[in-house]
Amino acid sequence: MGYVAAAYVSVGLLLAMYVWTLRARQRELARLLRQVKSP
Amino acid sequence: MILPVLAALLVATGVFLALRVAPVEAFQGEPYRILYIHVPSVVASYVAFTVTFVASVLYLWKRERRFDRVAYASAEIGQVFLTMVLLTGPIWGKPVWGTWWTWDARLTTALILWFIFAGYLMVRAWSGAQGTRTAAVIAIIGFLDIPLIHWSARLLRTLHPRPAVFRPEGPDLPSSMLLILMVNMAAFLLMYLALLRVRLGQERLRDRLLEERAL
Repeated sequence: MGYVAAAYVSVGLLLAMYVWTLRARQRELARLLRQVKSP
Repeated sequence: MILPVLAALLVATGVFLALRVAPVEAFQGEPYRILYIHVPSVVASYVAFTVTFVASVLYLWKRERRFDRVAYASAEIGQVFLTMVLLTGPIWGKPVWGTWWTWDARLTTALILWFIFAGYLMVRAWSGAQGTRTAAVIAIIGFLDIPLIHWSARLLRTLHPRPAVFRPEGPDLPSSMLLILMVNMAAFLLMYLALLRVRLGQERLRDRLLEERAL
């Protein structure tokens, strides 16, 4: 069962890291857009 | 917002079915449960790279930015799924084959695909607007590796088993396993669509940002 847990946890972690990266990128893009638009 | 929630619910259902409901395989025992995330990751990565391939061809032909956005967004997600394949494969291989890795045709061609798309993402990250055509050519070359990966286990002697689901004779799995595998495939494909939608939104946002800066 250890191998199964290792596989599922590693996939879960990889997905969580990618979603976290997407959220961070989204925030950064929104911030830059606000900055460019502000007078 | 509905798509990510649906995808998350279906993934949770699929994982529950795979770990708690699916019967134990007679020869491999528990480690075979890795199948339920390994195969859907393969399918999701193939779909993502196929979308990248089609969008890249259309971009080189029409030179419209929207095709390039789709190609880039889908390639990045495809690479995430392919990384899942290359993580779960060796973890499954160790208890079943007795080794984490072997340089057989299937595994090697899959690793080559990972390196091709790593190169693609590097070109996208570092060469900006100038690299779009180079990246499209890399994506087309990378896509040509997919039939090699799929057919390598049928045509060559490999340690990796032959395809058990996508084969001309039909799936070679008991219906109790096949149904759960299908749920997980649907979950991973829905997850791909949800991620693609977010990623495409970001590319549009980036274009708007570049336009605003240029004004």
